[in-house]
Amino acid sequence: MKTFRALSALLAYPSAELQAAVPAIRRVIAAEGVIPPGQATALEPLLDSLATGDLYDLEERYVLLFDRSRSLSLNLFEHIHGESRDRGSAMVDLLETYRAGGFDLTGPELPDHLPVLLEFLSTQPLAEARAILADAGHILVALAERLRRRESLYAPVLAALVAIAQATPDSEEARALLAETDDDPTDLAALDATYAEAQVVFGPDPNAGCPAAREVLARMSTAPAPAPARAAAAN
Amino acid sequence: MSHLLDRLNFLTSVRKDIFSGGHGQTTIENRDWEDTYRARWRHDKIVRSTHGVNCTGSCSWKIYVKSGIVTWETQQTDYPRTRPDLPNHEPRGCARGASYSWYLYSANRVKTPLVRGRLMKLWREKRKTMTPVQAWAAIQSDPAARASYVKARGKGGFVRASWDEVTELTAAANAYTAKEYGPDRVFGFSPIPAMSMVSYAAGSRYLSLLGGTCMSFYDWYCDLPPASPMTWGEQTDVPESADWYNAGYLLLWGSNVPQTRTPDAHFYTEARYRGTKSAVICPDYSEAAKFADIWLNAKQGTDAALGMAFGHVILREFHLDRQVPYFEEYVRKYSDMPMLVRLEAQDGRLVPGRQLRAADLPGALGETNNPEWKTVCIDEATGDLVVPNGSIGFRWGEQGKWNLEEKAQGKDVTPRLTLILEEHRDEVAEVAFPWFGGAATNGWVSDDRGGVLMRRVPVKKVKLADGSEALVATVFDLICANYSLDRGLGSDNVARDYDADVPFTPAWAEKITGVKRDRIIQVAREFAANAEKTNGKSMIIIGAAMNHWFHMDMNYRSVINMLVFCGCVGQSGGGWAHYVGQEKLRPQTGWTALAFALDWARPPRHMNSTSAWYAHTDQWRYETVTAKEILSPTAPGGDWESLSLIDYNIRAERMGWLPSAPQLRTNPLKVGAAAKAEGIEAKDYVARELKAGRLEMSCQDPDAPENWPRNLFVWRSNLLGSSGKGHEYFLKHLLGTDHGVLGKDLGQEGRQKPAEARWHDKAPEGKLDLLVCIDFRMSTTAVYADIVLPTASWYEKDDLNTSDMHPFIHPLQAAVDPAYESKTDWEIFKAIARKFSEVAPEILGVETDVVQLPLQHDSAMEIAQPEVRDWKRGECDLIPGKTAPAYIAVERDYPNLYARFTSLGPLMEKVGNGGKGIAWDTRTEVHHLKALNGTHREGPTKGLAKIETAIDAAEVILMLAPETNGEVAVKAWSALEKATGREHAHLAEVKHDEKIRFRDIAAQPRKIISSPTWSGIESEEVCYNAGWTNVHELIPWRTLSGRQQLYQDHEWMRAFGEFFVTWRPPVDLKTITPDATKALASGEKHVVLNFITPHQKWGIHSTYSDNLLMLTLNRGGPVIWISENDARKAGIVDNDWVELFNSNGVIVARAVVSQRMKDGTTFMYHAQEKIVNTPGSQITGQRGGIHNSVTRAVVKPTHMIGGYAQQSYGFNYYGTVGANRDEFVIVRKMNSVDWLDRPATRKVEAAE
Repeated sequence: MKTFRALSALLAYPSAELQAAVPAIRRVIAAEGVIPPGQATALEPLLDSLATGDLYDLEERYVLLFDRSRSLSLNLFEHIHGESRDRGSAMVDLLETYRAGGFDLTGPELPDHLPVLLEFLSTQPLAEARAILADAGHILVALAERLRRRESLYAPVLAALVAIAQATPDSEEARALLAETDDDPTDLAALDATYAEAQVVFGPDPNAGCPAAREVLARMSTAPAPAPARAAAAN
Repeated sequence: MSHLLDRLNFLTSVRKDIFSGGHGQTTIENRDWEDTYRARWRHDKIVRSTHGVNCTGSCSWKIYVKSGIVTWETQQTDYPRTRPDLPNHEPRGCARGASYSWYLYSANRVKTPLVRGRLMKLWREKRKTMTPVQAWAAIQSDPAARASYVKARGKGGFVRASWDEVTELTAAANAYTAKEYGPDRVFGFSPIPAMSMVSYAAGSRYLSLLGGTCMSFYDWYCDLPPASPMTWGEQTDVPESADWYNAGYLLLWGSNVPQTRTPDAHFYTEARYRGTKSAVICPDYSEAAKFADIWLNAKQGTDAALGMAFGHVILREFHLDRQVPYFEEYVRKYSDMPMLVRLEAQDGRLVPGRQLRAADLPGALGETNNPEWKTVCIDEATGDLVVPNGSIGFRWGEQGKWNLEEKAQGKDVTPRLTLILEEHRDEVAEVAFPWFGGAATNGWVSDDRGGVLMRRVPVKKVKLADGSEALVATVFDLICANYSLDRGLGSDNVARDYDADVPFTPAWAEKITGVKRDRIIQVAREFAANAEKTNGKSMIIIGAAMNHWFHMDMNYRSVINMLVFCGCVGQSGGGWAHYVGQEKLRPQTGWTALAFALDWARPPRHMNSTSAWYAHTDQWRYETVTAKEILSPTAPGGDWESLSLIDYNIRAERMGWLPSAPQLRTNPLKVGAAAKAEGIEAKDYVARELKAGRLEMSCQDPDAPENWPRNLFVWRSNLLGSSGKGHEYFLKHLLGTDHGVLGKDLGQEGRQKPAEARWHDKAPEGKLDLLVCIDFRMSTTAVYADIVLPTASWYEKDDLNTSDMHPFIHPLQAAVDPAYESKTDWEIFKAIARKFSEVAPEILGVETDVVQLPLQHDSAMEIAQPEVRDWKRGECDLIPGKTAPAYIAVERDYPNLYARFTSLGPLMEKVGNGGKGIAWDTRTEVHHLKALNGTHREGPTKGLAKIETAIDAAEVILMLAPETNGEVAVKAWSALEKATGREHAHLAEVKHDEKIRFRDIAAQPRKIISSPTWSGIESEEVCYNAGWTNVHELIPWRTLSGRQQLYQDHEWMRAFGEFFVTWRPPVDLKTITPDATKALASGEKHVVLNFITPHQKWGIHSTYSDNLLMLTLNRGGPVIWISENDARKAGIVDNDWVELFNSNGVIVARAVVSQRMKDGTTFMYHAQEKIVNTPGSQITGQRGGIHNSVTRAVVKPTHMIGGYAQQSYGFNYYGTVGANRDEFVIVRKMNSVDWLDRPATRKVEAAE
């Protein structure tokens, strides 16, 4: 479905070409109807700003949001693997998925870049695309929420993806992600929670190790994530 | 895919075929499920690389790559074995390194070139109608346009740009600057080349071809211990960590080996199994303290007092009351202790003056070559004055006698150490020694005994050439007096009793340092007794902690003296192990040729960064320390007190001691053209014009727009986030953006202004036209830059890596292509060079540049100035290269800069190569490089060897360096043989045919080849240890006496009272001013603490401090440590947000309250990034600063000395250093925490 390609373009770095393509994006979204009507309307402010805004302002906004804010990174595995050991393998798996679908990566982006994934999904049957997207549902939920808190015009793009993926906004994974640090004043408590060490208590199970280490490890070792890649490979 | 249904879960088949005698069996069930595990660990290739971060570890790693993506890494374990009975180097590699591969794909990476949006818009606008150079000129000549991006620095607003566009902009700025102001206004800062030599060389080669300024780092980081060049004529040379194992006694002094030297710490553990005893000296209960057999928790900043007391005990028990034959022979042969010092009359008393020289004596004692640079002693056998071999006068102008043989004019001599015996002395004289102990402030114990201490010394009368008579004493006798040892000569201020309240007794040191006297005596005795039994196997491992004090030389010289008194330097298992900064670039002379483009033009422009930043960030305008405060009461006559610290620096530059950047107020290309037009030599032209006042040195007026640095490249560095002492002054004056400076300058305060530096009432803000930061992550420096270029990280480039901690050279390699749009440093500077050659011809052709060169160490210029004479004040004529800097015309071919960048230039064949005062021919190596790298087939560099790729560049280094090419090593040693008249080539002869190539080190780390560049050797017999060749090959140290120089006789050393080591309390920086304290509400709880910045555990400098794994191991943002008592006083509990501030600026951090801390101090491990979890300050309303926000560099005149043997300039070798330990801050709890995360308000610095 071209809707995925349209959303991929919206999440890419703004350019004159994108500005010129805004009417085409509108048409695709309206014609395909993949995005629920309410969600599609919500995209209008972003489309307007892209179509009419000063390109430098648009670019600065994009760099600030997506290149510079770790918590809004469009590299999906940043949010589930972060700097953990699993990240490289997960990216390899995703790359294999693209290859199994008959595509290879070109250009500088990594496989887990959301616009890359969306472009791939545009080549897949809608049901499969939905299924793959659903695997990343909790990340999309978190990104949508963080953008909403910033009152960013990009928030509806993510909200649209959440709607397509039919992801549950208050799933446990999404809540866990949202509890993590955001570059946001309201997240001071979250920051404290992330780095606070638990009080050391002895017993009832003295063999369980240091509770502080245990908790930190638990927070760092994300459960083997339902990476879209693996799910896709299974099909 | 699930294999649940393919697999038997509850049953096992009984139908099994057995083979191999029952060890194997055949099953009939599906085993596809095993593939999941096979796939998990499958990889396409393993590549050797390392982490080119300023960490001395230099550990080789295996990088596993699958489908072009790094999947994980493990430690390499294939270092060449050590010899039997010595532990191997493995395991090397720590958690910090292991966290790296995931950092590679972190969201913090810079993905594309970024440019400040406002600048980009201006540029594109102008470029529609103008050429690149015109476009840049148009932006610079429009103040409003310039201000629009300059004032936005640090406030976000980046947009992406293409490489083509961004390199064009940079090249145009460089070309415009070279034409308008001079190429020396293009600065480049990059530290620690040893961690990735080619990456460093990429930028410095570009700058050197341009005529730009390469800035030093080792001195600026304050990792350079000036005591090392003072004593040994050597920047820093240290034992490899394996040599710790050979020590019998290990003293860890301010070094935290288990925390900061992780991969090497095992040698420390293993040495203890061997029976080595270890003492640890540090104020806090550090990781290292836990390893100690005895822990001395001296008050911070009092190390010299402790060292003096150790020396007092060692001299008393091992040199005076009893003479240890080994020690006595060692100090006689290898130190200046038998040399004679003239005692000079001053205000009715005698003070130690210059060391006696042959030239002072009738007929110069038969010495005709450089007699003013030859030191004199008394021969034990004859009682005659003799001029022993090896002093620096023998190094230049003659051959064969620059050695440490105990000979004078061909005859055997035995220098006499002491004149204590009545038959050896003519009389006993009272000599004045300066006393600074009463100057203590800020809680250090003040011990006021007046300004001088008189002590009695045995002396001899000698008749001088002019017929007069002089009193002389040996350095040994003066040292004994300096250490207050009672030798029965009946004077005050000396002691026989350790409990006496006389400076430098253990009882006195207890008062100053807080360490119990019996522990001081115990450690001193054990240290020396071990050295006596083992011929010098006592070692002191020393860290930055002691070197970052203003009076660091006192700390270090007190340590060095202990080692010399006990014969430890140059002995395996002994000596001075200062591990601060990865200072050992082993293939140094191969690298300098590439890095500074010595193949095309000599000399390059080098600058000592401390003086440069002090001037250009206007920290001098806020100077709180006056010369009077640090001057000695025994100073020779002069206008010392009327000068401010920058005035001393200006005089030093004028006399050719220190370099200048920029050099002259006039563009050096114009100077070159003018000289050429007149048909006279550049040096004569400059000398004439300087004298006439028509040319002026830039240093006199750092705030004049002609003298500003205009373009700055920062690569491989986080100058603003990590090493920028006086961070807020950088922001205010150099960058011109929001800052947190709270104090007022000298003009506003109405204090004494500098005498030499021109004062502008209004200080400039925003001197830089362009700041380019090249990094792979968005560091604090990148946040403030105008252009951020994404560079390859350590698994994405080919490069070389060495360390002082182990003897191997090994590579970084491109396991994968640079991620996103990044490029390697080599390719980035190549691209800028290519663009430069395209845009520059519009305004620049082949030009004559005039380079100003200070009097260089390891060249004949190091004996230029036996006396201090200032041409400007009419004390002598201006003679370039003698009484002033040298001025040398250099041809720049700007249109062909790129062609030159990528070719090995003709000077390697014509002039050859060399380093540290020796030179050799390199025709064979150039020939080999042509065959190896290929030659250019056409163009301006046709027929020359190519340097296209980073591997080509690495091959140039490896081919030209003696350390990696045995043939060159033999040549280098042979060259040294001419000077020393002794045979040394045997040290490399066995490796004659060994040539180490890039592919060799890719296969396995290689041990380097012994070379005269270094003072230790690589052998199967001993570990690498500094000073080994001086002691065992009798090669002189590169000092005045040719020996370990414990007496420093330069006039400025005497003026500031540091001819010998003594106790100098930390200086009072007076930053707790009313401007700072007005932030406190009346009665608000707070404490004032000494601010200390040690190396951290969960990071290597700034890298890794923004890595979530490492942050998670600590508290995830900036923290300070304070003691429980101090916390209670200020009402702070653990994890509270606190504000630290003084007149320099403000920091916001969390408090870690710990019993480990000494009261009165706070630690802030450097460098925690202000981009990570740093909230706003209540005082400034801006994001809290970095650790350097409360510091300001203060320069010391004794570090400016030049043209005087070991005290001569060399890049990163000598010069002012960025001390910052004497600083105090107010600490208070914050009322509210504001994260200032309001996007795009442009009010907040470094907000994103």
